[in-house]
Amino acid sequence: MVALEAAPLAAGVLSRLRPSGWEALRARAEAALDGQELPTTRQEDWKYTDLAPLRDLEFAPGAAQDADIAHAILPEARGSRLVFVNGHYAPHASNVTNLPAGVRFLNLACATEMAKDLGTLSGSDFFADLNLARFQDGALVVVPKGVRVEAPLHVVFVNRQEGAAPTFALPRLLVVVERGASAILVEEHQGTGTYLASAVAEVIVREDAQLTHERVQRESDQAFHFSHLAARVERGAAYACRTISFGGRISRSTPHVVMAAEGAELTLDGLALLGGSQLSDTHSFVDHTVPHCTTRQSHKVIADEASRAVFNGRVFVRPGAQGTDAQQQCRGLLLSPKARIDTKPELEIFADDVKCAHGAAIGQLDPEGLFYLQSRGMDPALARNVLTYAFAADLLARIPVTSLRRQLRQTVLARTQSGTLEALS
Amino acid sequence: MSTSLQQVTGQEYKYGFTTDIESDSVPPGLDEDVIRFISAKKGEPDWLLEFRLKAYRHWLTLTEPEWANVHYEKPDVRKIVFYSAPKPKAAKHQSLDEVDPELLRTFEKLGVPINEQKALAGVAVDVVFDSVSVTTTYKTRLAEEGIIFCSFSEAVREHPELVRKYLGSVVPTSDNYYAALNSAVFTDGSFCFIPKGVTCPMDLSTYFRINNKESGQFERTLIVAEEGASVSYLEGCTAPQFDVNQLHAAVVELVALDDASIKYSTVQNWYAGDKDGVGGIFNFVTKRGLCKGRNAKISWTQVETGSAITWKYPSCVLLGENSVGEFYSVALTNHKQQADTGTKMIHLGRNTRSTIISKGISAGDSSNSYRGLVKVHPKAEGARNFSQCDSMLIGSRCSANTFPYIEVQNVSAKVEHEATTSKIGEEQLFYFQQRGIPPEDAISMIINGFCKDVFRELPMEFAVEATRLLGLKLEGSVG
Repeated sequence: MVALEAAPLAAGVLSRLRPSGWEALRARAEAALDGQELPTTRQEDWKYTDLAPLRDLEFAPGAAQDADIAHAILPEARGSRLVFVNGHYAPHASNVTNLPAGVRFLNLACATEMAKDLGTLSGSDFFADLNLARFQDGALVVVPKGVRVEAPLHVVFVNRQEGAAPTFALPRLLVVVERGASAILVEEHQGTGTYLASAVAEVIVREDAQLTHERVQRESDQAFHFSHLAARVERGAAYACRTISFGGRISRSTPHVVMAAEGAELTLDGLALLGGSQLSDTHSFVDHTVPHCTTRQSHKVIADEASRAVFNGRVFVRPGAQGTDAQQQCRGLLLSPKARIDTKPELEIFADDVKCAHGAAIGQLDPEGLFYLQSRGMDPALARNVLTYAFAADLLARIPVTSLRRQLRQTVLARTQSGTLEALS
Repeated sequence: MSTSLQQVTGQEYKYGFTTDIESDSVPPGLDEDVIRFISAKKGEPDWLLEFRLKAYRHWLTLTEPEWANVHYEKPDVRKIVFYSAPKPKAAKHQSLDEVDPELLRTFEKLGVPINEQKALAGVAVDVVFDSVSVTTTYKTRLAEEGIIFCSFSEAVREHPELVRKYLGSVVPTSDNYYAALNSAVFTDGSFCFIPKGVTCPMDLSTYFRINNKESGQFERTLIVAEEGASVSYLEGCTAPQFDVNQLHAAVVELVALDDASIKYSTVQNWYAGDKDGVGGIFNFVTKRGLCKGRNAKISWTQVETGSAITWKYPSCVLLGENSVGEFYSVALTNHKQQADTGTKMIHLGRNTRSTIISKGISAGDSSNSYRGLVKVHPKAEGARNFSQCDSMLIGSRCSANTFPYIEVQNVSAKVEHEATTSKIGEEQLFYFQQRGIPPEDAISMIINGFCKDVFRELPMEFAVEATRLLGLKLEGSVG
């Protein structure tokens, strides 16, 4: 047998000194990584996502520094913002002066005691293990029992390549919304240069609590972004999570949500807007372990130029999870002859009294819609752009933070309006 | 679960008799000598022996696939009898009177219309018994039209040029573990050739039966429809009850040239093992059709009710411009049965269209998975697919899974997929009952309604048989 060369990425990351705290968990992750290679397309979970461009790169750890985040500031979250640069806490860019009493919103390294739920959720993969083994810092959100946080909590992860060598960052986020509490959380990833960000977010929504979680991924076009979300939704709780992806050369999002007690509700939305030779992959897993939980999942992708979109949505209904109501929708819009969409909505059902459905549709803009707009005097190029924007817009309309909604609409508009000016002149 | 449902699904296998016929077989196990023996026994030309050996050598490099959602103890190749033929009479029978009466009684028990009088339905039957073709009815009538319908061995003797041209052209010897195994050891099967412009005047049919306890069945079917030809082909399968698992690894290849159309219907009722999952057939089958010419059409319809393990994906390769692929399937699993079945639609040509309708019914402790692939290649301008997969669960210990793979690489393609899951509700049963319809009939009606989209694609006699079969299979299970 040929000796396998150790994955340079895992070896590179693990050669770093083990940061303090969570020793047992870090050891567990290291054990899981032992002998592990960078995933290949021969693995079912990575069938459509080829990490070859990543294979030969060597990454150095990104350093702590300050960042100019003026463009990212949300007016609604002026006093409730945490900023991390390359996975390190950036105190000068952060501002947590306006928090309701009892709400904990701080960096993890300062709160080892409070973060006892870290690493307790199920589901992991190669990149999540890398993160757990060597993450430096991250954000901790604890909303105590019955507290309703009105202002959105804003966490910004900035990643920057320093010098010639690509860098890596391991940002982390732990959110606990206690019984009957409610909050809106905005998690943002952005950066410049070539780097690898392997992020992990853990979310616990306890009994009757509510959490709206907006995730915005606008990494640089040369970035490799891997983001694992592990969530647990308890009795009568409602968790709404929306992931909007614009950036990254290769990006992958793997939400793993466990419906842990009766009456839990989940809304899981995703939108990916791709161009160039970007590849965006979403592998979601919703695990219905108990009766009477509800899932609504809607995923949309727009693939332009030579981009590739992958969606694998798995809904699992365990034995005894009667009364489960799970619906999943995946829609893909292909805008260019070189673009490609691969999708696999999976249903695995082990209980008979359930309502489960999924639908997947891949196609192009509705010719009748285009014709209608043209019959109203609209230029064909403009009509296409209007319909493309509309395809994405309904997911954005539900974002509760006004400034964020506006910002994202503008980004989508800018991305979908190529050729509009020419059409109008 | 109410008792009526349990009664319906508790039903045992009704075709589990064995027929005592002297058979001629090789010792269990597989090596090149066994392949040479089979080939020599059948008096095959060298190229076919080469084909077999090439397949065998490739097979040695393969491992059994494990990706399917089924769990079983892998069949031990060393214990399988790779050749088992009913002891040959001096010459091939000219009329049915010459066939071993014991064999005919077997088919009578099965209700196969092998008897010419019985074949009023106009079905020409090729009967394959433990992989060796026994008799073909209606041959002369078909020959008038220039249609060749005979056993595979006969085709190799009489029409070697045709067999050589098309054998392995759709499912190459290197395709997968079981297809390679089949290519190495297949003993017989059916061959069907419809010449240019001919519409086959009657449905063609093959009946398969495994009779020997240790034997595997490895039959090979090859159907070629030339330009403008059309044919409807039916296939039925049963096996006696044994408490060991038997392997059935068949390969079916269809080739449709310009404007040709092939309709392939299967009612599969291999022995599924008993209530506790002992025995039963491992049904690992590779079926693939190639729409080679423009406007060609291939349609698969299957009713899968038997086998302990089913691993089967009848596929269409849509190469010709405007070609059409269809897949209509009802898969029913009960007790400990496991099925992982579905289809592949590979769109290569312009304006190719495909439709997938799959209905899965699981009862008892069974597991029923739909696994499908719709692939649109960059050159398949204007490709169109519609898929619908519905599952029905009867009882709370079974499972229904859906794994549809959709890969689209062409901007003008349109692909849609829908899947739902439902159950037979107490309320539905109550409604029927208060109209004076007993639960069993109600269940049968609900199931038939659920499967209607598929049943109406079946040829008449098959539709009747399928409806009855589902009823039988579910007897004692719903509640």
